[in-house]
Amino acid sequence: MKPAIVVENLGKCYRRTNTHRPRTFMEAALQGFRGLRNDYPFWALEDVNFAVLPGQMLGVLGHNGAGKSTLLQLVSGMVRPSVGSVHVAGRLGALLDIGAGFHPDLTGRENAQVSAIVGGLTRREAQKTFADIVEFAELEEFIDNPLRTYSTGMQMRLGFSVAIHTVPDVLLVDEFLSVGDLAFQSKCLDRIMSLKNNGCAIVLISHNPDQVKTLCDQALWLEKGHVKSYGDPDLISTRYTGKMDLKSQAQKLHTYSQEIKIESVKAIKIPQETDRYDYTESIDSGSGVKFIIRYDSTQIIENVAFALSLCNADGQIVFNTQTGTLKFDVSVWEGIGEIALTIDRLDLAGGQYFISVGAFAPDWSKTYDYHWQRYPFSIHWTPPEDSLLNPPLRWTRI
Amino acid sequence: MTHPLMSRHRVKIPFTRRQLIYYWDLLSELVGRDLKILYKRSLLGVAWTLMSPLLQLLVFSVVFQQILKTGDGIAHYLSYAFSGLLIWNWTQSALFQATGLITGNRPLIRQPNFPVPMLPIVTVTTGMIHFLLALPALAVIMTIDRVSISPTIFLLPILLGLQFALTLSFAYPLAALNVTFRDTQHTLGVILQLMFYLLPVFYSLDDRLIPAFIRPIYEYNPFVILIEAYRSILLKSAMPSASGLMVLGIIILTLLPVGYRIFRRQSERFVEEV
Repeated sequence: MKPAIVVENLGKCYRRTNTHRPRTFMEAALQGFRGLRNDYPFWALEDVNFAVLPGQMLGVLGHNGAGKSTLLQLVSGMVRPSVGSVHVAGRLGALLDIGAGFHPDLTGRENAQVSAIVGGLTRREAQKTFADIVEFAELEEFIDNPLRTYSTGMQMRLGFSVAIHTVPDVLLVDEFLSVGDLAFQSKCLDRIMSLKNNGCAIVLISHNPDQVKTLCDQALWLEKGHVKSYGDPDLISTRYTGKMDLKSQAQKLHTYSQEIKIESVKAIKIPQETDRYDYTESIDSGSGVKFIIRYDSTQIIENVAFALSLCNADGQIVFNTQTGTLKFDVSVWEGIGEIALTIDRLDLAGGQYFISVGAFAPDWSKTYDYHWQRYPFSIHWTPPEDSLLNPPLRWTRI
Repeated sequence: MTHPLMSRHRVKIPFTRRQLIYYWDLLSELVGRDLKILYKRSLLGVAWTLMSPLLQLLVFSVVFQQILKTGDGIAHYLSYAFSGLLIWNWTQSALFQATGLITGNRPLIRQPNFPVPMLPIVTVTTGMIHFLLALPALAVIMTIDRVSISPTIFLLPILLGLQFALTLSFAYPLAALNVTFRDTQHTLGVILQLMFYLLPVFYSLDDRLIPAFIRPIYEYNPFVILIEAYRSILLKSAMPSASGLMVLGIIILTLLPVGYRIFRRQSERFVEEV
């Protein structure tokens, strides 16, 4: 089967408008037509590759500004790519800007007819489907009233119904489940799934990883214009969820009893290259690291347990230790102090990690302070293997 | 769920039969939409299309014929002026509207696969329909003026075609220019006003008062050739000047491809800029 959408090495570079660029003819003339060139290239999207087969749905995940809309505009052909190519087989339909082309003075019928034809149907085809469109939108009684008498929900329903009845070979959907009430939303979903089952290839843009998990056959995770991950929707949406949680929870500051406050956690590569403390936020897999925890105490406390853990982007704790494990007694004095944890080899696979640090009473009855997943830490490695560990290893023949 | 349209049409070649039907449907639907919007909320409806040039005719004929006496030597002055007015109104309003087309139709140009070059054609067609709707009024004035209608009137479709193409040649680059410079439309309003006075609408080219140094502007102006050709067939029962039509044809064959190319080249940036 030939793919309905093939995107190869796709990239889009915008030129950021320089601030002196004239917006009007008058300004341009007054400036003597200087400053018309835009400068500052900015890659909104780079190096994107994917293919969608007929009957498949691709979910695109990403935060605001990740390049999702740019991708949709490129696939739809509205915007020309700077590099790479987009091939779309068959007729293209889109659920973007639903109902934006409607005119308030025309009736629902007139608007729907124009929209259907603009959406790619001939007049005969539009007339054939017209009854279905009206029925789907649940607007039989109002269809001959001017659009300005419609509620926003009714307009959206009509727009969606028209768009979904143009029977495209390739459908681009931007956050469709914000249309109308819940009942209508599930109806829309049924309709989209029936198009899909009839061989329509769909690209769905979503903020909602659960939606991607349940609906899509593939997922693409965009971050800052690059593909962060492409493949199985289960795996990617789970990771995306984890990442989102880390992001949102990192903001949260719990207040604990605060007799001891953790000031900072910093990492140093070991062996140290210089005498100075060269703080770092990343090391190579398999090298050593020293974590320095800096705290501030309001009083003298005997026996404090410091704990440090590392978790990966999924939120899974991959390493955890505390001072009590090695019978290291810490007593703190008033004022600022530092303790260090030295790890001779850290054999974790590469990726983004987060450090959590806490100070507790030794019997865990009290939490003085706890910074949960507060400090980002990354590990570099080269082999492209899906592994959690990278211990020193070798293969031999026996 | 089965659906009458589930059998799919795969369109690759741009000019399959379905595609041609589609373009025709799209054009007529968009023109129809323009007309409906225009007449939906006005009581007078189509009559309004006539009112405005008739009032213009009243004002200008008083000023030019009665006060300035520029129309003294012109036979059938009312028909002469009204025909010129209708012809120029078509081009003027089409160009003015075409300039705001891309910036004013964001939803349409953001529709995937929408043939954006269709938009200026829609505007020029709408203008032509207004022109055709006003022709009966011209016929009435010609009857009052006792102009005899001759078989040369059958050449009218050719002139309509030429004016359509000529207007379109300017509509394309102007629509594109307004995306870069948003005040093109305002500037154009003034230029079109100036053009109106530089055309022999209410006065005649034979007028001795026209100074010699302005004469070339008339000789090389395609719209002058066009208006004169219209008047030949409508008022003078004469064939339009063949050499004039040739020049007009050559001008169109040069300007239209150039204008269209400018539009196409700029159209890649429309979605980004609008």
